[in-house]
Amino acid sequence: MKMIVVFEKAPRLRHIGHLDLMRAMQRALRRSGLPLRYSQGFNPHILLTFAAPLSVGMPGKREVMEVPIEGEMTGEAFLQKLSAALPPDLPCLSARPVDDRHPAPMAQLTAAIYQAELEQAPENFEATVQAYLAQREIPAVRKTKTGMKPCDLRPMIYGLTMKGNTLQMVLALCEKATCKPDLLLSSLFEFAQTPRPRALITRTQLLGEKDGVLCPLETL
Amino acid sequence: MNELENARLEGLLETVQKPARYIGGEMNAVKKDWNGVRCTFGFCFADTYEIGMSHLGMKILYYLINQRPDALCERVFMPDADMADKMREAEVPLFSLESRKALNHFDIVGFTLQYEMSYTNILEMLSLGRIPIFGRDRAEGDPIVVAGGPCAFNPEPLAPFIDAFMIGDGEDVMHELIDVIRDGREKGLSRLDILRGLARLEGVYVPALYDVAYNEDGTLRSFAPNDPAAPAVVKKRVVKDLSAAVYPENIPVPYTEIVHDRMVLEIMRGCTRGCRFCQAGMLYRPVRERSMDRLLELADKLQQSTGYEEMSLSSLSSGDFTCLPQLIQALMDRYKDKRVSVSLPSMRIDNIVKQSLEETQQVKKSGLTLAPEAGTQRLRDVINKGVTEEDLVRSVTDAFECGWSSVKLYFMMGLPTETDEDLQGIGHLAKRVVDAYYAIPKEKRSKNGVKVTASASVFVPKPFTPFQWAAQDTIDAVREKQGKLRQYLKLKNVNFNWHESELSMLEACISRGDRRIGEVIYRAWKRGCRLDSWMEHFKYEEWLGAFADCGLDPAFYAHRERPYDELLPWQFIDAGVSQEYLKRENEKAKRVETTKDCRRGCNGCGLHTWNVCDWVKNPPLKDTDKMAAPLFD
Ligand code: SF4
Repeated sequence: MKMIVVFEKAPRLRHIGHLDLMRAMQRALRRSGLPLRYSQGFNPHILLTFAAPLSVGMPGKREVMEVPIEGEMTGEAFLQKLSAALPPDLPCLSARPVDDRHPAPMAQLTAAIYQAELEQAPENFEATVQAYLAQREIPAVRKTKTGMKPCDLRPMIYGLTMKGNTLQMVLALCEKATCKPDLLLSSLFEFAQTPRPRALITRTQLLGEKDGVLCPLETL
Repeated sequence: MNELENARLEGLLETVQKPARYIGGEMNAVKKDWNGVRCTFGFCFADTYEIGMSHLGMKILYYLINQRPDALCERVFMPDADMADKMREAEVPLFSLESRKALNHFDIVGFTLQYEMSYTNILEMLSLGRIPIFGRDRAEGDPIVVAGGPCAFNPEPLAPFIDAFMIGDGEDVMHELIDVIRDGREKGLSRLDILRGLARLEGVYVPALYDVAYNEDGTLRSFAPNDPAAPAVVKKRVVKDLSAAVYPENIPVPYTEIVHDRMVLEIMRGCTRGCRFCQAGMLYRPVRERSMDRLLELADKLQQSTGYEEMSLSSLSSGDFTCLPQLIQALMDRYKDKRVSVSLPSMRIDNIVKQSLEETQQVKKSGLTLAPEAGTQRLRDVINKGVTEEDLVRSVTDAFECGWSSVKLYFMMGLPTETDEDLQGIGHLAKRVVDAYYAIPKEKRSKNGVKVTASASVFVPKPFTPFQWAAQDTIDAVREKQGKLRQYLKLKNVNFNWHESELSMLEACISRGDRRIGEVIYRAWKRGCRLDSWMEHFKYEEWLGAFADCGLDPAFYAHRERPYDELLPWQFIDAGVSQEYLKRENEKAKRVETTKDCRRGCNGCGLHTWNVCDWVKNPPLKDTDKMAAPLFD
């Protein structure tokens, strides 16, 4: 069977890159004494997949990974063992056992919620955000593997709300289309014609889709 | 650090290279309540996180201090150049990783001294940590700055900056030192009285309590205590029973990649081979082994607490460990299912290992490193490196048969009595290694093709070795030899690496320096020198300027042969190995005579009078016993 696990990458660890985080999680799993599964081959490693890599500089509140294990066990038992082996800034929040044939979270990923804590929000910014969203097309230039490419951001924005100094963004995150929060902020402040303030961006939730509605990835 | 400084630091982390080095929070890092302890220790490593976190001594002492309920120990590393500059600009003090406390908030600030070319980093760290650089300028409330490690055996170059040095094994003396400082502070003793208390501990040297005078020619005239608390001779500390000594059962597991990212088992301390250039071999005598039971117990605990996928064995010459094959077998049996690989720092390919190699992939085929050190048998006899050409060829042949294909060969140039023939010998040995590969039938050797890398470092004479009186080659002489070696090593499948001769010259000045070298280090740091062992930061001209500022000549320290009757700056330290023994060995070197490994019988190195060396009465090997295969680390 395999476990769908939710964990947090606390702000202190935001400077840790994806590969380093992977290694830290592998070592935690090794410490846990859980019945893990290993890859075949020359340098066997623990089977483990993160639903979506988190970029350097960004904390994650509810990140999702999939851990295949040998035999059967409850989510609570798994959670307890893994928690004991994790450092304080990388807590594990929940674990749900599913069948091996259950689709991988990575394949079900659709979007993510981000929160940007702006150092200072421009005045009356809620209205600007409304006006920005009201556009039918939002042209931008996106960095891809093959170079800079023009694109339309509008269909990749599921939601955008401003509360106090916090901008909440729901943005597409899947193989077909991904809008990076950083790109959105640049585009938004260009539209607002104000310099972009410093912001700490946190990914707070990964989302999948069920019956046409977005819902937390780990519940799928 | 206050809140403002903390916020500024968070901002800096967004802009510097590799910020993950400065965040701490690793698994097994120890964060204690500052109000719950009576003494705080800031453990400093005078190099960057990646280097410092790979260092075993730091892990041992970090664990040892944090085991005390009355004390805490936090780690402090040298920030990289970009970070150091930005911290200064933003007025962020050097801080500990665990609690982000500024360095000057600790009761004790301790440095481990691993190599001389990190000394400017010590000054940079004190300065960033808001601690007066010179011991004499420190106020009552400032931390007591202490240091230990191999380079503390000649403490004089750092005497102006360090309040107290610990000489020898740190495990026991560390507790005593903390007790004295803790009690002294609680009783409100003056700084000077606390230092006097430290000077009374065996193995502790307090430089302020000694006076130095020089002759007109610059040599040392006298060196003597100026305080009744200070002993005339400071005796190194020795941990007699390694199995009973504290060893970490868990170590911080870094998030970012460091130089040696694995768990380390120190299987023994000391070495009896008696190579005449090797300082560690003399300083860490006598040889003490950890018991198998203790090692396996530690291995299990470390594996469970770290989750590391690799384990390495550490010592000066692991090949000499009595039960090495049994140990490796036991480790491999234990870790087969846990996917832990065991890497051996020194290769002694016994049959048992060879067999396991074929069965599993558990022993890592990291590059094979061999250190013949010198190119001819004559010169190897001079330095007492008990390795023959045939040993070397047999070792690499074994390794090639086991699938290795790349070999690193370490040599030194500028060894006493070296001639052109010895340099040619280096080329000859490299060629023999390549030939050994081609001598193996195609189907039995690796398909990668053989790769030999020959590295030649510049010989640096070190205190407490038989060559402590020797002159180092001048920079010009070294350059000429490097040119010749380049010719001799123009061979197919062979690469040649050499070291910067300027760095080695400075290392020679500092390692055998006196107190005046401290002033040179200070001037060099003032002129912007730091991170000297990183080529991109090394400023040779500034170092020469620093010598000139102080009216001192590097040649006096590096290139001068010293007579036996000269008073040496480190002579007041008793390292166990006696000056008479070192002289005897130096004379034997001149006569090209070797000295046997003392496992075959005591050579009377001086430690035989200390009652710490078990082998004086019971040498483990008889003359007729075959020695272990050659020793390569
Ligand atoms: S006392 Fe004798 S046996 Fe012990 S290290 Fe010295 S020479 Fe070797």
